[in-house]
Amino acid sequence: MLKVLIPTIMLFPTIWLTSPKWLWTTTTAHSLLIASISLMWLKWTSEAGWTSSNTYLATDPLSTPLLVLTCWLLPLMILASQNHINPEPINRQRSYITLLASLQTFLIMAFGATEIIMFYIMFEATLIPTLIIITRWGNQAERLNAGTYFLFYTLAGSLPLLVALLLLQQSTGTLSMLVLQYSQPLQLNSWGHMIWWAGCLIAFLVKMPLYGVHLWLPKAHVEAPVAGSMVLAAVLLKLGGYGMMRMMIMLDPLSKELAYPFIILALWGIIMTGSICLRQTDLKSLIAYSSVSHMGLVAAGILIQTPWGFSGAIILMIAHGLVSSALFCLANTAYERTHSRTMMLARGLQMIFPLTAMWWFTANLANLALPPLPNLMGELMIITTLFNWSPWTILLTGLGTLITAGYSLYMFLMTQRGPTPNHIMGLQPFHTREHLLMALHLIPVILLVAKPELMWGWCY
Amino acid sequence: MATYKEAPLATRPKTLDPAEYFNLSPDYRRAEEKRAALRAQLKRQYLQQLNNPHRKELIEDPALTRWTYARTNNNYFRPTAKTSLIGGLFGVLPLFVLYVVFKTDRVS
Repeated sequence: MLKVLIPTIMLFPTIWLTSPKWLWTTTTAHSLLIASISLMWLKWTSEAGWTSSNTYLATDPLSTPLLVLTCWLLPLMILASQNHINPEPINRQRSYITLLASLQTFLIMAFGATEIIMFYIMFEATLIPTLIIITRWGNQAERLNAGTYFLFYTLAGSLPLLVALLLLQQSTGTLSMLVLQYSQPLQLNSWGHMIWWAGCLIAFLVKMPLYGVHLWLPKAHVEAPVAGSMVLAAVLLKLGGYGMMRMMIMLDPLSKELAYPFIILALWGIIMTGSICLRQTDLKSLIAYSSVSHMGLVAAGILIQTPWGFSGAIILMIAHGLVSSALFCLANTAYERTHSRTMMLARGLQMIFPLTAMWWFTANLANLALPPLPNLMGELMIITTLFNWSPWTILLTGLGTLITAGYSLYMFLMTQRGPTPNHIMGLQPFHTREHLLMALHLIPVILLVAKPELMWGWCY
Repeated sequence: MATYKEAPLATRPKTLDPAEYFNLSPDYRRAEEKRAALRAQLKRQYLQQLNNPHRKELIEDPALTRWTYARTNNNYFRPTAKTSLIGGLFGVLPLFVLYVVFKTDRVS
């Protein structure tokens, strides 16, 4: 664990001591090295359960895919930000990359934490660099509004979690996940216990986000610069899912009764946010709402607490992280050229950027969960286990899949096909850096088709 | 010019309307001239941008900007009886309906 954490912390001296000519090259190379070291986590030395060298930071089959995703994403974020940060003074560029690296450190410690309170502290700590990235480097005046919504929704959701965790520490004497997984099911039968149950989960449901409390997400995703959108969509949402999966172990048996409203909100949210996607004019807003839709499916899968639900949730989280981040990168390429997020202004791109049209096509197909990609695997597992939970859910999830296909194809056809407006003819061609970025996003998705066992979590 | 008749379904252009010439006060004519001057300035600005050979980006259209702001910011939503009904029907009622459906299905 330290093999990855120490190099990540050493990224800070790298950023501040490199000469300006080599800043981006060095940081990208350093973070790529960290990403390749992180791949060693995928080799699990113990048959099941936690792999660790100490009792404070450990990895297990649930956190490993998310950790690898986090480490993989940092070089991609640095690659994506190169163009729009370039005009700024060198120290501001260094600050930007420092924020990304600090986010990385907090996320590694969050996913690797064995004490739930450390997870909570890192969960909160990730809010600060993200807030700074959104409000300082966003492009429109609405970024202040977006930052406020983001910060206060997540904070308000997670303060009950702090109280709940302290209560748990009081009653069980420990907050280590290594110990709590073996504890007896708690006697949870009073109103106070129900509020405790809700307090444990609301933070993660706001972060995921669940449909009723999702309002911060479109604002934050749209107003953030590309690296902010990437890290938000790919990893920060998954913090919510990961936290929920960890907490669910000790929240039985109350969850059987109390989870109903949240499962229903999640399922109905898939359809509602999917329908909103069909009416969007802003490209990033469409991708943001599609994130809410997919995360609704993940939330439903986690809340019903079946093995297939958990596996499907992790697979969908990893696949969605990569694909959503890829879509935000593509949207950013369009934004950097036309300086507008309106979809109608960037039509007919296939005629002028044919290779990029292939990336758009693949990313959109992955978004609509085309077989054999892991998106489909995750969605199918969740849909199947939901059907087992109650056959009526197939109406909601089936309709949701249909609407997902609808808006993904709508996004593809709107941006790629159609008449190319005149002002687009003179746009800059695609940089190799951008093609590399897209390849690095989508190749892991395609490779995961071959070995999905890496993502299955405990049920492998 | 006196025998000009407009096409059957067309409207007579403003500059050819006889009422424009005969019953107008000087104030109205001055105001009309000012408005025509402004229109000509805007059209000149647009044509300059349009015919600029070095222009690579889109000519900014304030109507498009207003439209995107109107579509993306929901400041134009007002809670009336109709919108509350739609909101309740699609946003609140399905939650209760689904709760009843799932509960009865799983309990039985």
